Amino acid sequence: MSLIKKITNSDRRVLNVIIVGCGNVGVTLADRLSAEGHYITVIDKSLDAVKNVSETYDVMGVVGNGSSYRILMEAGIEKADLVIAVTDSDELNLLCCTIAKKVGHCAAIARVRTPDYADELPYLRSRLGISMIINPELEAAREIARLLRLPGAISINSFARGHVEMVKFKLPEKCSLCGKSIMQTHDILNGVLVCGVERGDDLTIPGGSFVFEAGDIVSFIAPVRNTQLFFKRISVETKAVSNAMIVGGGRIAYYLAKMLIDEGIDVKIIEYDEKRCSYLAEELSDAMIFCGDGTNENLLLESGIRDTESFIPLTNIDEENILLTLYAKKTTDAKVITKIDRTNFRDVIAGLDMDSVVYPRYITTESIIAYARAKHNSLGSSNIETLYRVFDDRAEAIELLVDQSEVADTPLMKMHLKKDMLIASINRGGRVFIPSGNDCLMMGDTVIIVTKHTGFDEISDILAK
Amino acid sequence: MNFRIISYILGWVLTIESIFLIMPFFVGLYYGESAAVSFLIGALVALVVGLPLIIKKPKNTVFFVKEGFVAVALCWIALSIFGALPFVFSGEIPNFVDALFETVSGFTTTGSSILSDVEALSHASIFWRSFTHWIGGMGVLVFLLAILPLAGGSQMYLMRAESPGPSVSKLVPKTQYTALILYGLYIVLSLIQLLLLIAGGMPMFDAVTTMFGTAGTGGFGIKNDSMAGYSPYIQWVVAIFMVLFGVNFNIYFLLMLRRFKQAFKNEELRAYFGIVLAATVLIFFNIHSGITNAADDIRHAFFQVASIITTTGYATTDFDLWPAFSQVILVLIMFIGASAGSTGGGIKVSRIMILAKRAKQEVQHYLHPKRVTKIHFEGKVLDSEVIHATSAYLITYVFIFVSSLLLIAIEGHDTTTCFTAVAATLNNIGPGLSMVGPTQNFGFFNGFSKIVLIFDMLVGRLELFPMLMLFNPRIWFYKRKKNI
Repeated sequence: MSLIKKITNSDRRVLNVIIVGCGNVGVTLADRLSAEGHYITVIDKSLDAVKNVSETYDVMGVVGNGSSYRILMEAGIEKADLVIAVTDSDELNLLCCTIAKKVGHCAAIARVRTPDYADELPYLRSRLGISMIINPELEAAREIARLLRLPGAISINSFARGHVEMVKFKLPEKCSLCGKSIMQTHDILNGVLVCGVERGDDLTIPGGSFVFEAGDIVSFIAPVRNTQLFFKRISVETKAVSNAMIVGGGRIAYYLAKMLIDEGIDVKIIEYDEKRCSYLAEELSDAMIFCGDGTNENLLLESGIRDTESFIPLTNIDEENILLTLYAKKTTDAKVITKIDRTNFRDVIAGLDMDSVVYPRYITTESIIAYARAKHNSLGSSNIETLYRVFDDRAEAIELLVDQSEVADTPLMKMHLKKDMLIASINRGGRVFIPSGNDCLMMGDTVIIVTKHTGFDEISDILAK
Repeated sequence: MNFRIISYILGWVLTIESIFLIMPFFVGLYYGESAAVSFLIGALVALVVGLPLIIKKPKNTVFFVKEGFVAVALCWIALSIFGALPFVFSGEIPNFVDALFETVSGFTTTGSSILSDVEALSHASIFWRSFTHWIGGMGVLVFLLAILPLAGGSQMYLMRAESPGPSVSKLVPKTQYTALILYGLYIVLSLIQLLLLIAGGMPMFDAVTTMFGTAGTGGFGIKNDSMAGYSPYIQWVVAIFMVLFGVNFNIYFLLMLRRFKQAFKNEELRAYFGIVLAATVLIFFNIHSGITNAADDIRHAFFQVASIITTTGYATTDFDLWPAFSQVILVLIMFIGASAGSTGGGIKVSRIMILAKRAKQEVQHYLHPKRVTKIHFEGKVLDSEVIHATSAYLITYVFIFVSSLLLIAIEGHDTTTCFTAVAATLNNIGPGLSMVGPTQNFGFFNGFSKIVLIFDMLVGRLELFPMLMLFNPRIWFYKRKKNI
């Protein structure tokens, strides 16, 4: 019976998803969502693009304009549960979602990137009835800004509306943790939960006898205030940077500069294109805009790369960004954050000595997948608050709402939980704590789970079956 | 080349075949025949070879076009070889090449036989012969895709290599469900035909085997005179279902979704029905004379046209005795074949249409050299890649046809025999004219010619290229660097 259900697709757990636009994000989404078992139909104007996707992934392709009624019908908009518009054009994405909403009974997600619309997104969303509008550049800028506030960290993922964060950092030499086990360092680790340690290519979810070594990449989850205290105890830099140097004046640079200026951080932007420079100078009157080639060593020195506290290459070319990063690592001890668009060759990039790397494309796909997971839950109510792919895709960190009584009110140590899974924190009415074996989940809690299993979409998935 | 995944797929195909081989064993048991044992042995042999290959799933399940093509070609060869063994074991077709010819003819839904007396075969063997038609009709790899979830989109390569037609489209986003839907439609149509045949008073065994032959558009008769001995009602049912199985299965899917308008707007469907109608009418007026019964003539004309265009190969009358005009029409529709995405063979109606439109475009181009023209097909502008692939298909087809003809002619039979023998096997039809006419068989060819014809049948069923890939030495020999 389940087979018939699957074919006729009356199975509620499988979503009919239409992805409009087979650019990089479209392809990544098709990959991830089809791997999660959903029915994917992709639409693109270019036959080659459609062919490429439908040959690589198990999806169906339709060639045509995604905001045309006829094409949407052909792609099966009537039965679709979710439409994701990620074409190059913001207007097309919005139009496509609007039409999709009128024709079918689906949720719609649009990508809108132009700064002109940035402040109007909530308005657009509610007026056009679009479920979600994502602005990858804005999100990327937010992530970079977060890292600049805590330069000691390699990456920061925030949960519970920013109350809890998952921080990844590199253990410095001569750190008070080095050479000691987790049990021995109980005082130092007070208030934080170490949820993963990467050493070379290995990822361990450490137990009490795990011994830290200098150079380990440690990830921990903690309420925000504890992070600062913890970093101070092990003498990792916690002071936010006071100035930033950005190479490349694209959209991310614009959003980032705006945020940083608001926080009182000095911003320098080096941009090649004169027109863009004058636009930036108009819009960001407090920033210093230099016009010139950002890969020119003299220009970098002249602009003061040696004195900068942070350096952020944001050009459109990944290779340039990587080279600039390596250069900056060599000449300065500034905090360097690299933006990389391409998602292949991640292992190669991980092998380089780079500080923090930000992938705007992952930010987009992660939030859409979190939405899709929440959506394919039978109730349709969003019980996944946040989802991050961590440790180079080997694990997921999910924030879930406890809404099923079968897991509630039993001490964690007595529950039959899945392996390779960690309940990292519980948020009970605003009070965030790290659970011990004696604690119970209660209805209405939100929990953060770190797991190697993929596809969690409800709290009962933590139970071993 | 990812040989590991190819052998894994091969292992699955053999395992499935061993399950299929159990069925004639039961049929043989039911009729108390000693031949049944040889099918059990055949099943065990296939299982023993197939099972070790599938015990461990390969780590790397990614494969590309070439692996898909090679896998499909090898699977069909293996399928035929193992399917031929029971005939040899039971001694009913002692010569292995003959047994292979019969089995390939079955799986490729050709229906050419080397047997002069079909009725002398055991029930088990007759059942297996017909059953191979049914398996081969929709394709064994499509069946495999329906039950075996392979990772990623690469499975489309398998489906594309096995399915007839210039381009293969999915019905639903998941390949596995597309395969399931295709088999579902196939089974439902088969069952409807079976019920209609039984309602017409056909014995159960005859009805089942005839249904297998019709559904796969194969055409192995179970009587020496093919379908001539059955009642007009049964002949009509078979004729209509032959035409139905020659329709693109996507049309049935559209009907299932109640998208009738879209289904009937299909250009290929209209052309296909048009050709069937025109050929029937022309042949009827050609063979009808004052002394013959008009109802019989219509039935014979329609049955033969349906049988040949869908490349089935059943016959209700000896069309070798028909006037030349009718025979030429039959030879022409031999080449046209059924619709793309059906169980039939031949060049396919849609390819002929694309080629005709391309020819028209060329003429227009000479008239107005600067004029920009695009070929429209099924309401869309045809991609130039499809047109190129279709032209390449035709050229390759002609090459294979001519080379086979030359090789067959060495033996020294008359031209009509050689020409129609190649046409009948390459298009997966079955009977030809003259010495290979509907009342004759292919038994008189020597071993070499039979092997050429076996190759033609496989090439025709798999749409030329997968089989040709096997002849490219780069598939087998390539330099591999050790541990880079």
